[in-house]
Amino acid sequence: MISEGYELLSLFMRYVFIGLGILILWRAYRWMRKDSRAYKKQMRALPDAGLVGEIVDLNSGKSQPLPREGMIGSSRACDIRIKSPGVLRRHAMFAFEEGKGLKVTPRRGAVVLMAGVELRSSAHALHGTHLQLGDALLRVRLFAGLKVPQAAQFQMDLTEQETEDAPWDEDAMPAAFSQPFAPAEEYTPVYPPVQQPYGMPYPPYEEEPQEMPAQPQGMPYAENMAYPDQYAENGPMNGPYAPYSQENMQQGMPEMQPMQAYQGEYPPAQEEEGEDEALPYQSPVNRRRRRSRP
Amino acid sequence: MSKEKTPRRKKDPARALMGPIMLFYFLAFFLLGMKGGNWESFLLSFAVPAMIYIGTFGISRLFPADKLLLSLTNFLCALGVLILYRFSPQRGLTQAVNYGVGVGCMILCAYVVRYMPGWKWSTVLMMGGSLLLLLLPLAIGTEKNGAQSWITVGSTSVQPSEIVKLALMLCLAYLLSQRRVVLSVGFAGACLLILMLQKDLGTALLYYGVTLVLLYASTGSLSLVGVGIAGGAGAAILGYQMFAHVKRRVAIWLDPWADVRNAGYQIVQGLIAMVNGGTWGVGLGLGNASVIPEYYNDFIFMTILNEFGVIFGLIVLCMFLFIIIRGIMIANRSRTVFHALLATACSALLALQTFVIIGGNIKLIPLTGVTLPFISYGGTSLVSSLCIIGFLQGIASRNEAGVHADRALASLGGELP
Repeated sequence: MISEGYELLSLFMRYVFIGLGILILWRAYRWMRKDSRAYKKQMRALPDAGLVGEIVDLNSGKSQPLPREGMIGSSRACDIRIKSPGVLRRHAMFAFEEGKGLKVTPRRGAVVLMAGVELRSSAHALHGTHLQLGDALLRVRLFAGLKVPQAAQFQMDLTEQETEDAPWDEDAMPAAFSQPFAPAEEYTPVYPPVQQPYGMPYPPYEEEPQEMPAQPQGMPYAENMAYPDQYAENGPMNGPYAPYSQENMQQGMPEMQPMQAYQGEYPPAQEEEGEDEALPYQSPVNRRRRRSRP
Repeated sequence: MSKEKTPRRKKDPARALMGPIMLFYFLAFFLLGMKGGNWESFLLSFAVPAMIYIGTFGISRLFPADKLLLSLTNFLCALGVLILYRFSPQRGLTQAVNYGVGVGCMILCAYVVRYMPGWKWSTVLMMGGSLLLLLLPLAIGTEKNGAQSWITVGSTSVQPSEIVKLALMLCLAYLLSQRRVVLSVGFAGACLLILMLQKDLGTALLYYGVTLVLLYASTGSLSLVGVGIAGGAGAAILGYQMFAHVKRRVAIWLDPWADVRNAGYQIVQGLIAMVNGGTWGVGLGLGNASVIPEYYNDFIFMTILNEFGVIFGLIVLCMFLFIIIRGIMIANRSRTVFHALLATACSALLALQTFVIIGGNIKLIPLTGVTLPFISYGGTSLVSSLCIIGFLQGIASRNEAGVHADRALASLGGELP
């Protein structure tokens, strides 16, 4: 049996519950509206939100924003719409992958050329890569700051193009980067990544080992020291690193004397900053390795 | 001495919303405690608001969750616990336990969506597993309300189609994001065929609706959707001709008063309960909606209308609407096609399920045996509904991370070199 008091209280509470329900609804609505406005404002401040770059049609010169993933084709439903002969309604799929680049996958029956090479499966396009779909020639441009391997600005083979002027040029890049793209699954970066974690060793270089004459640790190299094969291949050298001056060379090359092991005490270890200047020759590889040592 | 003006502190909208929600449940359970005089209700008047608070603010500490979505979901879940506890304390407490389990599953689903690196192989696994799970009730299942869609394990019953619902959304979202339209339609068609064999037409309607919405969202092709609608209409006619209980349900929908003591009893009692509640309701603890046979499950919305009135029923509907709109907002803000499609599927499924059951209750459409999300009694249903919210939360947190990444990119330059 329900008491009269409870009945009265319950009848009154009906209005309280409805009032609270309306209050909850109103506050939820206000919150949603406020959030929507804040988001719109944020998107206005970040006009490139959700984009990774742009695709430029080199025939027309027009560019289109490049979302993280989508479809290239001539259909209106495509994220990148290219109206050009030979471009299918849905020609190729693309998706940006951190650390790899823009993965381009041609659809069945569609032909995509990446840097002039026909794609059999998917491949990663980097900044500056050219794509050809039908008659359309496109160029991928990715935002700076994205984690992608750098595309080569010039082709250079370190082993072939070493010159006597700058054999240790730090800006030289390995031949692996002369290719602007690599197959999706097989690609492994050869050049050290741009952001190397502190304390981690760089990947080893495949380089001809060059024997240095015996030298006690911590001792500076002799003034007129050179690599043996460097002397043999390039002939007489001039400049500050030449083992002998031009006059001496004309007189006839004296017999090289083997270095004697150092008998005295070792000098105190040099500061790391000043070490570079003390050495007459350092390859970029050696210099980097020395820095990575603790 | 001059008074220094302190800067006005900005009100946190989550706390502003949480206040009335907690007060609502404190007063409701306190009122029920005054009716029966049992200590359990008084204890719940503190425990349920605390649960809502932890369920909203505790989860948002784990990852950047959408607190508005969480608050509204928690309100609806707690409403289910309240209504069930008012009529059957045992059911109410069981539902509270299901709610706790559901919150755990929601967190798990949010983490899966947030951190899963790739969906290719998991989609293949889910597709195979889903078909097997759906076939299971045909082999070892039990029949309830004309549909053979339940598996009884010990003392508990599980409805596999509720679990497959989640897998279907994930698989369709992934396949359609990869533009594999034929494969996705084939998979959805196979699921629908098995559901037709189980005679679980309510769930089949949900699967069909979600597939259609996703097809349109991913392809934008009206002709494809038209073919889908034509196929659905054909299947509905076929189902009407094939199954006797479908014919009976349509007949009840058209005229429930023709067989008011048997087949039309439930729907008539539901309508009477709604009218009896009127605009303001009869008052919490004063209603008599338990005369409806399925008052705790399919007809729980009528029970709410009876106790709290039509205005409160509209408030509950608006809350569902807000959850669906929020889901669509999350879909719009998604950074990848897969996440956008998954959020669309979640919103569409919740919208369809709510429409189908409330429409059936108020005699707008023929009644089908689906549950009202978050509120109806049933562990599988509540857990699967909370998993859907978990998917939305995972996508929302990824969107938030995407905005942070864009901001960082903009600060780094974010320009074309």
